[in-house]
Amino acid sequence: MGLREYILTRVILTIPMVFILLSIVFFVMRILPGNPVLLRFEKNADPQLIASYTHKLGLDKPLYIQYIDYINDLFHGNLGLSMSGDFSPVAPEIMSRFPATLELAIYSTLVAILLGIGLGVLGVAKRGKVDSAIKLYGIISYATPVFFVGMVLQIVFGVFLHVLPVYGRYDGTPPSGITVAGIHIQTGLYTLDSLLSGNFQAFLNSASHIVLPSIALGVVISGVFVRITRANMLETIRADFVIAARARGLKERTVLLGYALKNAILPVVTVIGLQFAILVSGAVLTETEFSIQGLGLYLVDRVYFRDYTAVQGTVVFLAIIITTVSLLIDIMYAYLDPRVRL
Amino acid sequence: MKREYFSPSRFIFYSILGRGYGRAFIVAGFSIIAFLSTMSIIAPFISPHDPTKIGIGPSNSPPSPSFPFGTDQYGRDMLSRIIWGGRFILLVAFTAVLICASIGVPIGLLSSYIGGNLDRSVSLIMDSVYSFPSLILAVMIISIYGTSVINEALAIAVVYIPSYFRVVRSQVLSIKELQYVEAAKCSGANTLSILFKHILPSIISSIIVVATVNFADSILTTAGLDFIGLGLPVNLPDWGIDLTYGRFELASGSWWVILSSGTMILLAALGFSLISEGYAERQNPKIR
Repeated sequence: MGLREYILTRVILTIPMVFILLSIVFFVMRILPGNPVLLRFEKNADPQLIASYTHKLGLDKPLYIQYIDYINDLFHGNLGLSMSGDFSPVAPEIMSRFPATLELAIYSTLVAILLGIGLGVLGVAKRGKVDSAIKLYGIISYATPVFFVGMVLQIVFGVFLHVLPVYGRYDGTPPSGITVAGIHIQTGLYTLDSLLSGNFQAFLNSASHIVLPSIALGVVISGVFVRITRANMLETIRADFVIAARARGLKERTVLLGYALKNAILPVVTVIGLQFAILVSGAVLTETEFSIQGLGLYLVDRVYFRDYTAVQGTVVFLAIIITTVSLLIDIMYAYLDPRVRL
Repeated sequence: MKREYFSPSRFIFYSILGRGYGRAFIVAGFSIIAFLSTMSIIAPFISPHDPTKIGIGPSNSPPSPSFPFGTDQYGRDMLSRIIWGGRFILLVAFTAVLICASIGVPIGLLSSYIGGNLDRSVSLIMDSVYSFPSLILAVMIISIYGTSVINEALAIAVVYIPSYFRVVRSQVLSIKELQYVEAAKCSGANTLSILFKHILPSIISSIIVVATVNFADSILTTAGLDFIGLGLPVNLPDWGIDLTYGRFELASGSWWVILSSGTMILLAALGFSLISEGYAERQNPKIR
């Protein structure tokens, strides 16, 4: 199978998967007999108010019409209206919150990859006690609640050492991006926006805020990277080409990093995809811990205000993102390793 | 001929006493879990104070001989709260594992044994749920149906059903071609008895490994739900709740509340992770 056919098959398979996930979300939200609006209000709320909410949100229609409307709206990028007073659409709010989560996801994945690959290689290079300790680190980091790591970091760096900010994304007005040839570019990723506009002070400001959250989340997901790097390195250092490289008298460093690691690193790509679900769960907790106004905190806030349409919208958005990421990772892996396409 | 039936108790017994790779991890894991579960079960008899009683000691007092783990902001004894605190989180995790396994395993057995379009459709549904973050789905379900042990367990269970399904399916696909299954078929055994009497016993060890990972994740997800305020009522003695509300007392310097409760959650999840890692090492020579 060529790369093109592989991509096509994979994309075609993804469509029913997204559809199934979206349907599960819809039916979980609606399986309750009655009306989600009733959950929003106390029992003795004004019936007229409840009726107007029900009508405005389309909940007075039969279930199958609601389902068709829901799917139809999704195709138009409409994630529904918020149940808060003004019925504002949910989608723009989600889009404005998304960059914060994306930025956290990028930096924590980076921390996890660097830490994971570094420790994995170190373990294989030293073996013995160092290797056992690193193996234990892999297990413990996986078993630690991310917000517990966050709290410890906050105490050490924020409270005792006073060197890093412990909440939020930026002090003052966030960087505004840059206008090139009349087009305003603003990614919402503060570190990137500040670099684009050449404001180094702003970059330091935003970077210092993201350090602790990305370390907290990065450490927790690094365990799996340690494992996979270690397992693959152990396999490759027993391969003939590595023995041949040793026999030629190359330095151990060159053998490990230049020969073994280069060939062991590929499956790490798939782990990024597998870790994405844990990353998203972790982001919800990390954003709550560090008061980062991202999607996770939005979800938690909306649950608190019993805004079910916003909760549903956020979950749907995350479902689409997760499926897309796993699709992209699979395609990337197939591109890098032709054996997958066989 | 002596027939060797697999039994989970014998599996656990031999994996602890037997030699072999990963034994240290397995022994450590089982010891931690045994300790924590025993502590939770006999909590009413060993706890020095009532874990919910306010004002047993001074507010926010650091660890001392009379309060070895200190007290929280309401002057409740932290040692008693830690002893009691595993009851709900472990119960939720245990219920979640029980629910997923009893749904995921039979579906996996039937679907892969019958095969064909049924298997393809079920696999597609399972695959679409598989990569979904458990915490997000749990948040959604609990926000609608409210908090209770069974709701938390159900919400966590939904996402883990596919893990059991996939493991069972991949094993059944190869086992159902084996001769002893053919022999059972020829001797007139019906499908259900082939699945549950002949195939299931030989795949239980893989199911136990999935269950340990499932246990660890369920504990972390339950603690996560507590942390975002969707957990059980705040006055219950619970590690997740103490960790969540203890952090507001950090400003006044009482680190012992979050340290003890956080460590307990870590230990519980670690115990199960160690067991699964031990088995992974035993089964896979590559990672030794």
